[in-house]
Amino acid sequence: MSLHKLRLAAAVPVTISTFSSRLFLKPFPNTLTLGLFSRRLQPRKPLLVRAFSASAAVQDIPATQTSESSVARPQWKASIDFKWIRDNKEAVEINIKNRNSNANLDAVLELYENMLNLQKEVERLREERNNVAKKMKGKLESSERERLVEEGKNLKESLVTLEEDLVKLKDELQHVAQSIPNMTHPDVPVGGEDSSAIRKEVGCPREFNFPIKDHLQLGKDLDLIDFDSAAEVSGSKFFYLKNEAVLLEMALLNWTLSQVMKKGYTPLTTPEIVRSSIVEKCGFQPRGDNTQVYSIDGTDQCLIGTAEIPLGGIHMDSILLESALPLKYIAFSHCFRTEAGAAGAATKGLYRVHQFSKAEMFVICRPEDSEFFHHELIQIEEDLFTSLGLHFKTLDMATADLGAPAYRKFDIEAWMPGFGRFGEISSASNCTDYQSRRLGIRYRPSEPLQTGPKKGKANLPATKFVHTLNATACAVPRMMVCLLENYQQEDGSVVIPEPLRPFMGGIELIKPKLK
Amino acid sequence: MKGKLEPSERERLVEEGKSLKESLVSMEEDLVKLKDELQHVAQSIPNMTHPDVPVGGEDSSAIRKEVGCPREFHFQIKDHLQLGKDLDLIDFDSAAEVSGSKFFYLKNEAVLLEMALLNWTLSQVMKKGYTPLTTPEIVRSSIVEKCGFQPRGDNTQVYSIDGTDQCLIGTAEIPLGGIHMDSILLESALPLKYIAFSHCFRTEAGAAGAATKGLYRVHQFSKAEMFVICRPEDSEFFHHELIQIEEDLFTSLGLHFKTLDMATADLGAPAYRKFDIEAWMPGFGRFGEISSASNCTDYQSRRLGIRYRPSEPLQTGPKKGKANLPATKFVHTLNATACAVPRMMVCLLENNQQEDGSVVIPEPLRPFMGGIELIKPKLK
Repeated sequence: MSLHKLRLAAAVPVTISTFSSRLFLKPFPNTLTLGLFSRRLQPRKPLLVRAFSASAAVQDIPATQTSESSVARPQWKASIDFKWIRDNKEAVEINIKNRNSNANLDAVLELYENMLNLQKEVERLREERNNVAKKMKGKLESSERERLVEEGKNLKESLVTLEEDLVKLKDELQHVAQSIPNMTHPDVPVGGEDSSAIRKEVGCPREFNFPIKDHLQLGKDLDLIDFDSAAEVSGSKFFYLKNEAVLLEMALLNWTLSQVMKKGYTPLTTPEIVRSSIVEKCGFQPRGDNTQVYSIDGTDQCLIGTAEIPLGGIHMDSILLESALPLKYIAFSHCFRTEAGAAGAATKGLYRVHQFSKAEMFVICRPEDSEFFHHELIQIEEDLFTSLGLHFKTLDMATADLGAPAYRKFDIEAWMPGFGRFGEISSASNCTDYQSRRLGIRYRPSEPLQTGPKKGKANLPATKFVHTLNATACAVPRMMVCLLENYQQEDGSVVIPEPLRPFMGGIELIKPKLK
Repeated sequence: MKGKLEPSERERLVEEGKSLKESLVSMEEDLVKLKDELQHVAQSIPNMTHPDVPVGGEDSSAIRKEVGCPREFHFQIKDHLQLGKDLDLIDFDSAAEVSGSKFFYLKNEAVLLEMALLNWTLSQVMKKGYTPLTTPEIVRSSIVEKCGFQPRGDNTQVYSIDGTDQCLIGTAEIPLGGIHMDSILLESALPLKYIAFSHCFRTEAGAAGAATKGLYRVHQFSKAEMFVICRPEDSEFFHHELIQIEEDLFTSLGLHFKTLDMATADLGAPAYRKFDIEAWMPGFGRFGEISSASNCTDYQSRRLGIRYRPSEPLQTGPKKGKANLPATKFVHTLNATACAVPRMMVCLLENNQQEDGSVVIPEPLRPFMGGIELIKPKLK
């Protein structure tokens, strides 16, 4: 499932001297709002100086940090198309507003202009310096030579200063521009949570003729889930699965794998510890007060919150052949999330946990194909959940609920009778080139067939950025909530959906155990 | 001072009481410090050792059993890294960029093979009455210590989480030991037998040289671990049950291996006795450890606080009150590797390779892999 990405925001004073890319790593409140449960947990506060926020909830920045004068260079650079932004600034501004993003477009445009001007100046000085150097090669009067040497020295000093300024300006520009969210698909509804559109609804809530239990009660009664021991051993929101629940997890993953492989997806398992720069390039925020990301002590490494991250990293800084696309992966991993800032009813039992198993689909394709694959991904998800007999609706998420990387996002919410409402079980995002520009994933278009003079390297087609998409195939704990609560029977047993039975040694029923 | 006293006598007693109280307070403080010091120092005392364990270092370990023999190859063999590349099964290079060295992605049939190994192992071990579990992989560091590991310190094997007292587990033995910590179990509940799946994380700090190649030594891997909690008189029996289960599993997969009774210098502090299984890895040209089965007797239970109350023998007599309940005793704990996926993969890839570059899947695993019999080179 795709985490609701942070909305990077910056309100930047537009002077060269007072930047600091430390602020890139500013605290940001929890944005991993999944489903109806966890939105609106953060009160909306007015925007203050430079902060990263999701849903416009912002943290104050201590005064000491804004006066920091030393500039830390960004660890990596996104290949942002500034020219395109400038040429389409009205559309970009509207998009920023629709998404409730705090990105500062004016600052970006001004910095960009300044950068271009400074670059021209640097080039001009370089040319002058070259001219001086050329002149000095000829025969000259000693006074003339002295004058030229002096001029050359001055030019060199000016150049060094300007080049330093240019570097700082580029860093500042990069820093501010990284907050600009992805553009938005024209069909996406504009607005907040309530504006999301229902694309599809499957099934209907089951009618129960007896008082039903929630998944926690079922988990206790059937000896399937142990939260209490885990609270002692690890802390809250950790759990052990026992008995048939273990078989059910394995059946869910095995069945999902076999179904998705049929659609041409390559199975993978991934590292669950990654460098923090990869996390950032995917659009997440590893450091900061309310981060969702666990960091490893004494290293620059973090635990992944989703396999999307190591999947994005596989082909980073690469140029793929067009003939290799699309690349379609289904990856299994454990996922770790701090869930900092998440509180209230939307944290009960398996609905919100720190560690869980997930199967994630990831596609790398040509730009013209991403819309097609977005529809393929959501279709795969809908087929999976329909096969399991779930009642769910597919939502086209509204602009204010898209994370910064997503061009368009479809969420699926399934009926959870124990909660008495719908809960998010999957998310499918088309990130177009947002992640690929940060991860450096390009492809080289195949050359069209043509006769003509022999081609040299200079005639190779220029590389382009790929599009990336990610979608949840199976998030085990939430699937378990759905299956346990929907399939419970009056005698306390739980029916196993037919497709899963062969993957569980044929078990059809989880029965209460004799004590 | 409760009786009737002369005022001078009373005064003398008050003074005496005060002096006694002060002395008591400072001595009680000293006692606490002394107890802490004692505990601190005594915790390093290793478990006692089974009388049959050979005394000495690595070379003194005794071979209990040897199964199979090294396969004879009539062609140039590849190691698992080469097979992994050629068959597009393992990617270390991308992982080095994304995460660092000793991390990897599994691809294609290797993913199916991992799942088949875990699924098959689970089904085999459940038949012996073991309860399946999945466990947290983040635990409080105190649990790690109580199991006999050292979470902090220069060459620690344990990853710690920034800003918390939590660590990543290096084995499911840790969260398994923790399940019943600070508990008194009924004798009738014993033995408790678990088979748990988890990912395991190890820093492998200090490990260097040839014994770190490829899948042999990695930072993250999947493992199925068996854990038994039993009465003291039963631990030797269960140690033999555990090693038998392991030997049966590896024999079924057609591996050539030897079971070693590890010598005293190679036991960890918790182990009363430890059987390691080393399997033949032709790509390395030597044996490599694929599993370990330890009887920790009461070493871990004394630290984790896991006790049991013996059932009362049948007897007539006066009515019994709480004071007549049998005293609790410490349980014995045992742990054993059912399947450490990367090392199993080294064995299976290297031993089952064929001249044409394909790898044969052992029969027991095929039903768990959708019937696949062979991993074939892919057309490029």
